[in-house]
This record gives sequence, C-alpha cells and structure tokens, in this order.
Amino acid sequence: MASIASRTALAGPALPLKARIIPLAFQLQARSRNSNGAKRTLTFSAATPHDGVHPEHSSRPKKVLTKAQKQFLDSALRVNQAGELAATRIYTSQNPPIIKAHPHLRPLMKHMYDQEAGHFKTFNGLLAKHRIRPTAMYPVWYAASSLLGWSTGVMGREAAMACTEAVETEIGDHYNSQVRELLVWEKEAKDNGETLGPELEALLVDIRRIRDEELEHLDHAVEQDAKEANPYELLTGVIRAGCRGAIWVSERV
Amino acid sequence: MASPAVVRTILRTPAALRPLLLRAPRAAYHEQHHDQATPYGDAERTILSHALAYVPAHGFTQEAITFGAKDAGYLDVSRNLFPKGTFDLVMYHLVTQRQGLKDRIQFPDETMGVGKKVRSLVIERLRANADAGVVWRWQEALGVMSLAENIPASLRELGLLSDEMWFLAGDTSVDGSWYTKRASLSGIYAATEVFQTTDQSTEFKDTEQFLDRRLEELRVTGSAVGNTMQWMGFQGGALMNMLRSKGVRI
Repeated sequence: MASIASRTALAGPALPLKARIIPLAFQLQARSRNSNGAKRTLTFSAATPHDGVHPEHSSRPKKVLTKAQKQFLDSALRVNQAGELAATRIYTSQNPPIIKAHPHLRPLMKHMYDQEAGHFKTFNGLLAKHRIRPTAMYPVWYAASSLLGWSTGVMGREAAMACTEAVETEIGDHYNSQVRELLVWEKEAKDNGETLGPELEALLVDIRRIRDEELEHLDHAVEQDAKEANPYELLTGVIRAGCRGAIWVSERV
Repeated sequence: MASPAVVRTILRTPAALRPLLLRAPRAAYHEQHHDQATPYGDAERTILSHALAYVPAHGFTQEAITFGAKDAGYLDVSRNLFPKGTFDLVMYHLVTQRQGLKDRIQFPDETMGVGKKVRSLVIERLRANADAGVVWRWQEALGVMSLAENIPASLRELGLLSDEMWFLAGDTSVDGSWYTKRASLSGIYAATEVFQTTDQSTEFKDTEQFLDRRLEELRVTGSAVGNTMQWMGFQGGALMNMLRSKGVRI
C-alpha cells in the first residue's frame, strides 16, 4: 500500500511543463474577463475554474467513476455514517455507569468519544456534500446502539470493553475493505494515466486515518481487560453478528 | 426569483462565462462523477421540446408529439420513440424543469432561512409550469401520471424534485429528518400543484396563499412533534439521573 501511495506522490513533478502551465493561464484569463464586469455575485464563478469544471485544462484527467463505483461509494459512506452514529451513541450511554464505577477511565472514554464524534462529523459532511441519503434505519440504529452501550456499561468495565473490542474489530475490517477497494480504483486510474481526483484522494486519507483510530480503540479495549469479560465468547459473538447485520442492512436501505 | 439586478449582472457578463454564473455552487465530486446528464438522446429531446410548444393548444396528447416531431423535421412514425406516449411528454417537462430549477433561482442573500428558500423554490417551480404554458393542461398530465403503471415513476420524480429543492435551499441535515423533510415537501408540492390548476387569481396569488398555509401547518406540526420528543427525552434523562443519585447502578 505504501509503495502505491509514494509513487502517486512522486508522479506530480514529472509532468511536462506545458501541462502544468495551462490551468494557471486559464485562471488568469478568467480573472481578467471577470474584472470587466465585476460584481459581488461573480466571486463564486471566478472560483469554479479551480474546482475542475474544465477537465480538459487539468494536467491529468480525473477518473470518471462507473455507475457501480458510485453506488459503492454511496453505500459505503452511508454505512460509515451509520457506524459512527452508533459508535458515538455507544460511548455516550456507556459513559455514566462506567465512569461512576471506574473514575480513572474518564480521560480514556472522553478521548475515544471525541474521536468518534469527529468521525461522525466527517461523514455527515460527506453525505450532505455528495447528496447521499442517510440510512432509513437511522432511528433504529440510534435506539439499538444506545441500548447496547447502556447495557454493556451496566454489566461492568470488562463487558463494556468487550463491546468496544467487538465493534471496533468489525468496523476496522469494514474500513479496510473500503481502503482496499479505493486502492484498486487508484491503481486502475494510474494505469489509464488518470488520477483519482483530490476528493477521492482526501477520502482515502480520511478513511485510513479513521480506521487507524478505530483500531487504536480496539487496543485500548484489550488493555482494559476486554478478554476478561464474562461470558466473553457469547458477548463478542452476538455483538459482532449484530454489527455485520447492521452493515448489511445499511448498505441496502 | 431572479431580481432585475441579478439579471443585469448576468447580461453584462461575457456570453461565454454566463453558464458559470448560472451554475449553483456544487461539490466537484458530485458534478464530475454524479453528473445529472439528461436521460434523453438528441432526437428525443428535440421532438419533445417542440411537442411541448403544442401542449397549450393540444394538451398532453399524441397529436402534440406528432406535431412536435414534424416541427423538428422527423417523420410522424418517430413518435414510436416514446413507447409510453403522452407520459414521456409529461416526464420530459418534469425532468427538464427539475434540472432547470437551479438556473431559474438564486439566493444572493446569505441570511435567508431554509424555510423561506424552500417557499421561493416551490413558487418558482410552479411559475415554471405557468411560463411553459402547461398550467391549464396540467390536470391532463396529472391524470396520465396517476395511471397505475405510471405511478412509481411519477412518485420517484416527485421525490427527486423535493430532494433538489432541499439541496438548493442549502439544507444539510443527514439524520432521520432527511426522510420526513422530503416526504412532507413532496406532499405539500403535490397539493399546491393541484390547487394551481384551478387557480383563477392574478399571478397565482391564491396558490401562494395556499402554499403559505400548508407550510405554516407543517411548521406548527413539526415544532409540536419536536417539542414533545425533546420533553420526553428530558424526562427520561431526568429519571435516569434521579435513580443514579439514589445509588441504583444504572
């Protein structure tokens, strides 16, 4: 994975000089045209040439997604948002019983919650930006994840951490499969002399960062004796099956 | 609604740059990869747009399509391009007006609320029916749309229009209210459109008032539901906290 990323980074400076000049020339031309009849309302149109509205002027063409790839992105982002909703709800409802019994866990719980809230905000923004509908099961996941967080929180520290471990294992796998898919697209695009485009590249970076943070939570949970939970196998088994089911449903509705 | 100042700005801009001005600010990924290209080929588009010119006189009928084909220089038989007949003509009007909505209206005033923007969008969309001259024939279109085999496509188009309106109004909520918002706006739009077909008032003043009453009802119901939910949530939280303070381990 790292080698593909570094090759992409190196590809930039190797471009022919002419190709790199054209976008700038177009920007200057657009700016001089706009200054003739400059009005405040023109400001956003002056910005559009930078946004790749004229792909013929950009140095390397952006990959055009197929219908199946768009559908994959839509459902992947929808599932991610639902997952982060559930994660924030689980931590919120675990919080009171856990920190009452174990006040020293307060900083760790707050750290994990804050990261999940950040992820949730990221995916909310992406859904709104790309006009992807949220899952229709939103209220159901909201209630179910609150209940899951609360009940494992009441069962004690080990059970709560086992819940975190189970959820983050599934979510980590899920994000990994998305990263894998995006890397395949990147390779395809590179083979055709295209780029993924800034937005998809940013998405890839975001998903990798979020996956790493989720796996960090998994490590924290194991450090906090998640494996001591009783009955460990049953609890993690049920939660992991529930996660997979929820992902399957959210991909579809 | 484009104000005179906005129109003047557009006309002063060099013709080559005008399309950029009319374009609503959109996300690049959406624009590049989710292109909203019209689902119509060149021939279909030419014939149907010519046919729409005959709708005020001939209604949403096969004759309008035939006349449109003749005008566009196609043979009569080319109406076989449209297996669903008049429904294709109705859908063409709906799709092009939905896609054209973003060019008909812009909101230079950043402080305008989402509710006001939605109202302007609905009025602008209804005005598009009047501008196209199809208002007095729209009951025929509604009749065609309500045939059993056309209902799914009509409802889908209504949903897309409602989604477009919320998007253009700048609504970014992606929670459970995403569905209720689209459903309620679809209902209001459909009702107002039916009202418009019988409206005899100047410049559809009655339609605007009808729309305002529906939006007010939605606002009142929405805030009542929201307040009730908030109250229940507060009571639940208070109960939990009280039990916790009594030493119950929950």
